[in-house]
Amino acid sequence: MKEMTASGNSYRIELDAFEGPLDLLLYLLRRDEIDIYDIPVAHVADQFLIYIRRARELDLDVASEYLVMAATLTKMKSKALLPKHANSGEEEVDPGAELRRQLVLYRTFRLIAEELQKSEETWTEIYTSPGERERWTSDSLEIEPGQASLLDLLEALSSLSEGEPELPSQRIQRTELTISECIGSLEHKIAPGITISFKDIIGPEPARLRIVSYFITILELMRRGWINCHQAYPFSEIELQRTERWSVDS
Amino acid sequence: MILDRLAREVEALIFASEKPLSIQQLCEYTGSGEDSIHQALDRLNRSFLDHQHCLTIIEIAGGFRIATDREFGDVVSQLFEGRKPGKLSRAALETMAVIAYSQPCTRIAIESIRGVNCDSAIRTLLERDMIKISGRMETPGRPLLYSTTMAFLEYFGLSNLDHLPRFDEIEELLGMSSSELEERDLFGAGEE
Repeated sequence: MKEMTASGNSYRIELDAFEGPLDLLLYLLRRDEIDIYDIPVAHVADQFLIYIRRARELDLDVASEYLVMAATLTKMKSKALLPKHANSGEEEVDPGAELRRQLVLYRTFRLIAEELQKSEETWTEIYTSPGERERWTSDSLEIEPGQASLLDLLEALSSLSEGEPELPSQRIQRTELTISECIGSLEHKIAPGITISFKDIIGPEPARLRIVSYFITILELMRRGWINCHQAYPFSEIELQRTERWSVDS
Repeated sequence: MILDRLAREVEALIFASEKPLSIQQLCEYTGSGEDSIHQALDRLNRSFLDHQHCLTIIEIAGGFRIATDREFGDVVSQLFEGRKPGKLSRAALETMAVIAYSQPCTRIAIESIRGVNCDSAIRTLLERDMIKISGRMETPGRPLLYSTTMAFLEYFGLSNLDHLPRFDEIEELLGMSSSELEERDLFGAGEE
């Protein structure tokens, strides 16, 4: 507890040094020699909040996970401080129980990570023939048919979109396309008795805004029960038909 | 000591193979039984030792490989300067630990254990081939499932997943309610 009164400088430990709020909590427990199975919630909550406040004073970007933990701890602290009604009939729930579970679990995995790091330390100095270093030679290793993973495909896709030339349509003043406008234009397109595909609705080479707006519109119309949608299998064409409710409701 | 024919066949096969050779493969290619292969491997390693070679045959990633001694790491590393990827960050190692022990698992599961966003750690591990996307969980949103790869085993010098450091408690811990936890301390009281 002696460190609690220490000057501001001793708190100048950057949050970056911690792997998230659980890591910081474990540090606080160890520093104050607190048993993980007997956590004084109020004290720990105070200490945690001091850290977060200092970090914010230093204009450090405090990740949202820390703020969530701060809120959780504050709630636990207030619960712990409230007088307990012995005859309230409610089962006594230990507010620290879930936190304890998380901390023990996290601590276990942190230990494993340390073990892995020791292995890494050893094995980084051992070379096998020809071993994994094949992979270090070049990023552009040929991928055998059937060997491409989902990651390869995603990478290929993102490299495609990076190199995509700017389309002329992107320089045109952005037009707002509201859901009600979309509904208005669909009024004519989805005439009674006909089946129209989503592709036909958005037309050839549609702008992203158009696809998104119309898709949301379709969802809205389904919610209202104005249309029926049919899709044979995932990613296949979506076919739309007007229901009788459209005319009735509108 | 003069090495017999079988031992030298085993040596040649392991030396020339692109991937770790399993005991079954060694049996098949040499037409010998598992016991003979193991004895041959012992003889080879003894011979390496006797003649002060810097090599050993090790079992790694499901098979056998010839490996250099650790003390020559510095010399050999010059060959791969600039190409050899750096060591994994703590975030990546922790994420690796969670995936190794609870695979296949989702990003959400990893994040709930680490209490912190794991996007970039997962991306690093994917890029370095330590983990792979092994499917999707059949729950709403069908989240991706991650599992470890052969490269993971090799990187950490494991012959297979059973050789991970033993933490029998993890499975229990993951499914255990917090009240049950109180009765046990995995690492001895007062360690933290």
